[in-house]
Amino acid sequence: MAVVLDGVAYGLQLALLAVGLTMIYGLGGVLNLAHGQFAVVTAIAAALLMDSGLPTLPAVIVGVLTGAVLALILDASIMRPVYRLQGENRVLLSLLITLGVAFVIDGLLIYNYPFTALNLNVAGPAINLLGVPMRRGSLAASLLALVALGVLIVFLRYTRRGKAVRSIIEDEEGAQLCGINPSRIRTAVFALSGGLAGVAAVAEGMTSSLSATDGLNLTILALIVTVVGGLGSVAGALLAGLLLGIVYSLATFYIGAYVTFIILLVTAMATILVRPSGLMGRGA
Amino acid sequence: MLTVEDLNAGYDDSVVVHDVSLHVDDGEAVAVIGSNGAGKTTLLRTICGLLPARSGTVVYGDHALLGKPAHSVARLGVAFVPAERHLFPRMSVQENLELGAYPARPDQQQLERVFELFPRLKDRRRQQAGTMSGGEQQMLAVGRALMARPSLLVLDEPTTGLAPILAEEAYASLKVLRSEGTTVLVAEQQVPLALDLADRAYVIEDGRMQMDGQATDLVDHPDVRRAYLGIA
Repeated sequence: MAVVLDGVAYGLQLALLAVGLTMIYGLGGVLNLAHGQFAVVTAIAAALLMDSGLPTLPAVIVGVLTGAVLALILDASIMRPVYRLQGENRVLLSLLITLGVAFVIDGLLIYNYPFTALNLNVAGPAINLLGVPMRRGSLAASLLALVALGVLIVFLRYTRRGKAVRSIIEDEEGAQLCGINPSRIRTAVFALSGGLAGVAAVAEGMTSSLSATDGLNLTILALIVTVVGGLGSVAGALLAGLLLGIVYSLATFYIGAYVTFIILLVTAMATILVRPSGLMGRGA
Repeated sequence: MLTVEDLNAGYDDSVVVHDVSLHVDDGEAVAVIGSNGAGKTTLLRTICGLLPARSGTVVYGDHALLGKPAHSVARLGVAFVPAERHLFPRMSVQENLELGAYPARPDQQQLERVFELFPRLKDRRRQQAGTMSGGEQQMLAVGRALMARPSLLVLDEPTTGLAPILAEEAYASLKVLRSEGTTVLVAEQQVPLALDLADRAYVIEDGRMQMDGQATDLVDHPDVRRAYLGIA
């Protein structure tokens, strides 16, 4: 039971990390390989601000905004040529460009801040949840992830803007015919995804720590969750995040941490073999 | 209301529509008829901003439409119902209709009007659009287009994929809209239905306008009868 709860807690963080990635893919056919770097930029910015004496909350908020603004700047500049292409070419160019961006961000951060890490100690004794003692950091991270995901879902389901976002994912031409400007919404969602990656970084900082070298790892985790859930499906990302979180936790507990990453990849492969378009992907 | 002059349009390597001119007056129903591949779809998609034009002008009210993206054309009051419908399959009927009014708040009065025209949509308002039958999806596509109270309704082959009786139903509802004063431009290869609805019609073949005139005259025209009505 404790293992499963841990898995759920971790799964929520995975889902939070992946939703931004999957939304951008759904909206623009862009696979952003610098997604984990948005999280890292947030972490480093927040850590530096805290080192300079800013209290935790404002530091973290500014950090998340930094991630969002970085995403906004990328979308408005280096991603422009990508949007001029269609279909497969767009995906390919987006992979190359965002991979380049990831390298540049990694290089700059690792060179300049090799020892900076975001470490939000959520201190205090364990709290009982369903008879299972849970670490405070883990609970706080889960709560943060739940709130962020909840707000996102309410936004997508019930607001006019949110429905517009979904409509573009469903059928971009149909959305245009309704008077929706896809490129404007895409830019906003790119920023949102940067912010969500930032919130995921904060959650990660509550359970362990996040430093400049973690970007690629986070990107890969987000990709796995996205692919398992179905590219472009927010609900799929949630489901896949929880599933993989629990698998991760069970594997760590029963087998050992050194093979968990392999087991995650095998789970992803198995899912794709059974359902090529992911758990909630279309055409499955 | 809408004036198209000397329009040339097509895709990267081929011009499909050659020097086409047409006009639609306020309150009129105009049909563009022609066989499959005649250039009807290219013509409508260019007018509505989904395809760039090579040359020519498209003026709607006081606005030059060419060069405007599709969402701007839509916001000016030109609602396009494409042959493939482009609904949002995993969203409910109600949500599809609400999005038709974007960016405005969905207008309850207009929603009721759409439900009055297509009672089936009201029964199925909670259903996912993609799970409905072809005929119902066609109703939804027209309903969604009406939600923004467009001043010009442009339809590409509204009978696509519909059985004959459903095609007739689709045109019956267009006639209702027509009688309420909606201005309609429709491209159609089911010529009898289109000529029955329209005041005027243009005949397009190989991307060029062949003739035009009052729908009642065209029905009796020997060339039209031979080519499209199957009557010698």
